[in-house]
Amino acid sequence: MQRRSLLLLGLLLALILGDVASAGAAQTVWSGLVIANNVAQPDPIPVELRGMEAALKKWFGYNQYKVIGQARKSLVTGSEDWMAQSKYFSLLVDSKSGNEAGYLLNLKLFQEKNLLLETDAKLSKASPLMIKGPQVGDGQLLLLLVVQ
Amino acid sequence: MKTFEEKWTAWIDGELTGVELAEFEASLPDKAAAEEERRDARKLGTFLKEHLPCQAMGNEEFFHHQLRERIASETAVPARESTGGGRVWWPIGRLVWVGATALAIFTVCTFFVMREKPTSEQSQYLSEILTARVDPVVNPNATISMFKSKEDKVTVLWVEGLQSLPSEYASQ
Repeated sequence: MQRRSLLLLGLLLALILGDVASAGAAQTVWSGLVIANNVAQPDPIPVELRGMEAALKKWFGYNQYKVIGQARKSLVTGSEDWMAQSKYFSLLVDSKSGNEAGYLLNLKLFQEKNLLLETDAKLSKASPLMIKGPQVGDGQLLLLLVVQ
Repeated sequence: MKTFEEKWTAWIDGELTGVELAEFEASLPDKAAAEEERRDARKLGTFLKEHLPCQAMGNEEFFHHQLRERIASETAVPARESTGGGRVWWPIGRLVWVGATALAIFTVCTFFVMREKPTSEQSQYLSEILTARVDPVVNPNATISMFKSKEDKVTVLWVEGLQSLPSEYASQ
């Protein structure tokens, strides 16, 4: 009887600890600066954008997407900040809070030291966030954020 | 220590003797009236004995059988309860076992329900733009639009009119 009780208690603890561990597991947010343009011979889409290829083409209409800056951040508490950077652009991401559904973010796009755009957004685990930035040469700067 | 009523009853029945009798009769406030009352009581007793004799029981055997059955059934119930007491009142160990099992079942159910619920919610939950702003001095013609596409499961912030930049800004 006592052995069975101990086994049951162990199972219970394992379940509870497993649940707590999974609930507290870190999620990764990928944020990228992407230049989109149309070329005769497009390069393959970067690995980071593979799940979004159809949506990118549908919404922006370009056939080539090139990542010029990126950051991958594992969020544990949900209150963290990080930066994706290229030579001239910086995307500063400040995560205010987060839960299983997603994160509340403040985004700032800088062109060198000039603030071009600021936005507050709820980034859901289920859907990427796409931001159309300024025209750059014959292409377009896009900001992408996705929970991986 | 007998009460007055007990001594009174005993006196009427002629059961008081000696000192006790003398003391009781001395305590009576009106002995003549008490003697009268005792005589009446004795007359009534004699009358009742004469006119209300005990009735003989016609079905004596059947009555005794019924009585024995009743006594047997009443004594049998406590005996059964005493032998089966362990089943009615479970020992602590068994109670702990049942409680732990119930708790485990509850936890497992909660575990699976809580795990599946966010998945279904997330599939319908899109990212959302709460606020967006550009510097009107630097980009006076900029306009901001927001789109949410359930079909593509994306949220798009569409900013038009930002100052165009030369192609060298596309470098990594």
